[in-house]
Amino acid sequence: MISTLIYGLTIGGILYIISIGLSLTFGSMRIVNFAHGMIYTTGAYILVAVLPLLKCNFVEGVLIAILVVIPLSFVIEKYIIRRLYGESIDYAIIATYAVLLIGVDLVKWIWGTSPIPLSDPVGRSVTCFSVTVPSYRIIIIVISLMICIGLWLFFKKTIVGKIVVAGLQDREAVRSLGINVDKYFSIVFVLGSCLAALGGVLYAPITTVHPYMGFHILLISFAVVIVGGLGNLKGTTIAAFVLGMVMALTGRFWGPAAEAMVFAVMAVVLIFRPIEV
Amino acid sequence: MIKKILNSGALGALVIALGFVILGLGTSIHRTTDFIIFCIFVIGFDLLYGHMGRLSFGHMLFYGSGAYAAGLLVRYGPPNPYLAILIGICAGALVGGILAPVIVRATGACFALVNLAFNQVGYFLALVAFAKFTAGEDGLSLTFSVIPFLNLTNPKVFFGFSLFCLVLTYYFMKRLTSSPYGILLRTIKENETRAQFLGYNTFTYKWITFILSSSISAFAGALSTINYSYVNPSFIDPTRNVEVIFAALIGGTGSLYGAILGGVSYMLISNYLARYIPRWEMFLGIALLILVFKFREGIWGSIRGEWKSRVEG
Repeated sequence: MISTLIYGLTIGGILYIISIGLSLTFGSMRIVNFAHGMIYTTGAYILVAVLPLLKCNFVEGVLIAILVVIPLSFVIEKYIIRRLYGESIDYAIIATYAVLLIGVDLVKWIWGTSPIPLSDPVGRSVTCFSVTVPSYRIIIIVISLMICIGLWLFFKKTIVGKIVVAGLQDREAVRSLGINVDKYFSIVFVLGSCLAALGGVLYAPITTVHPYMGFHILLISFAVVIVGGLGNLKGTTIAAFVLGMVMALTGRFWGPAAEAMVFAVMAVVLIFRPIEV
Repeated sequence: MIKKILNSGALGALVIALGFVILGLGTSIHRTTDFIIFCIFVIGFDLLYGHMGRLSFGHMLFYGSGAYAAGLLVRYGPPNPYLAILIGICAGALVGGILAPVIVRATGACFALVNLAFNQVGYFLALVAFAKFTAGEDGLSLTFSVIPFLNLTNPKVFFGFSLFCLVLTYYFMKRLTSSPYGILLRTIKENETRAQFLGYNTFTYKWITFILSSSISAFAGALSTINYSYVNPSFIDPTRNVEVIFAALIGGTGSLYGAILGGVSYMLISNYLARYIPRWEMFLGIALLILVFKFREGIWGSIRGEWKSRVEG
């Protein structure tokens, strides 16, 4: 039971790291960003490519993956997302989905379609309460909690964070104070993309790395964002961990149903709390 | 008199039928049947997207439920193709009817995503949960019984039958979209609050439209099962949703001719051009970006724009 709990927290942590970027993009620009899945996949593949190439350790690989993603997400923001601002939301979905398609095909072109397994970078296990858990899982939970606190500090204490939160609430009011909201939102977009890449590299050793990995996780992240409320950061945090638990508990009884169960929970939430977008 | 005939859509139906017969003679019958079925699917999708302004990112679910319902009936019940089509349509209507109250509450991005999520669940059900009946990844290969008068196992007869189905769908949609109901749909697209102010219960209308759209999609799915005489999870694969969206966009949304032109264009590209395109998904992605940024009105929209400027200028 405790191992299920830890597993749930691990998935919840990963989901949190990925969903927060989606939620921020939606809240700031009203754009549902499928390209997020592409960034996630790219992060994991960069890690896979860099590890044997530079013979560096896992942490350095993670840092390189995140650094590579920054210019990529900047380009996507500048040439795709920025141009879609204020347009019909349907076009935004289609255009970012197109970016995802291009990204998936590029990955297939460069690395091939076969899944690449990645070994656990820590390897050791810890025993607590008479249950043995891989310590890598514990590390993921710790990292996600650190990011949670870090983001909380960022949004509460720094001026950039405060501008972003204010912009999420009322874009026009912030603009009328003479603040270039778009600039701050593009910072947030890059930040969200870095987190997506981080989620990708952290999740890679638990699952395998394959071109469509972004598509699956993206759907679950969307469920998280919908359950938590689009653009609602606190809601997203809670929803990520709750749905992570749901996945772990369902997976305990019947593995393949875990994903379907998340969507069932989402449907129930939607029945009782319809969202106005 | 001439105007009346033009407006009734008889001419349009004739042009469509003639176009497909020429296409069928020029290429292969089996392939053109596939084109026709895909066009029915695009029409079903466009009823939601073009007419009601709701982008569904999970319409393969309804296509797939029609296909699977037909396939399962033929495998485990009477192998009658007509009954299979009927059951397929009913299955689509049922799935749409059950899911619609959840889905149509959402608008915009949520609508698209919730559809996609349900499509993923449907894919899971077909691939894993009911693998005992659907044979999972392998799918079911089917044999249909021979009906003496109209034998649908004969490719030529089935071509005629699908064409008849397309014309029927076209005529039905033509009547539907030019009726007060169709005008109300466009009102919902433009301004739903306004429609509510006028005293319409928009929820019910959206529900009905969703069921109609899912039934037409399931109709296409069931026809496709007969055309291929097998059904496998690719019929319900959520990653294939982009095909129908691409077709609706390239043809021009919100118009029946646009949907049919789009369906044919997409199928022509994917059947003939794909041979010369090594990276298919990348091509699709770049083409979608061009469509979204530069070519929003689609083929039919630009033809109509050109026509209008000619007539006025």
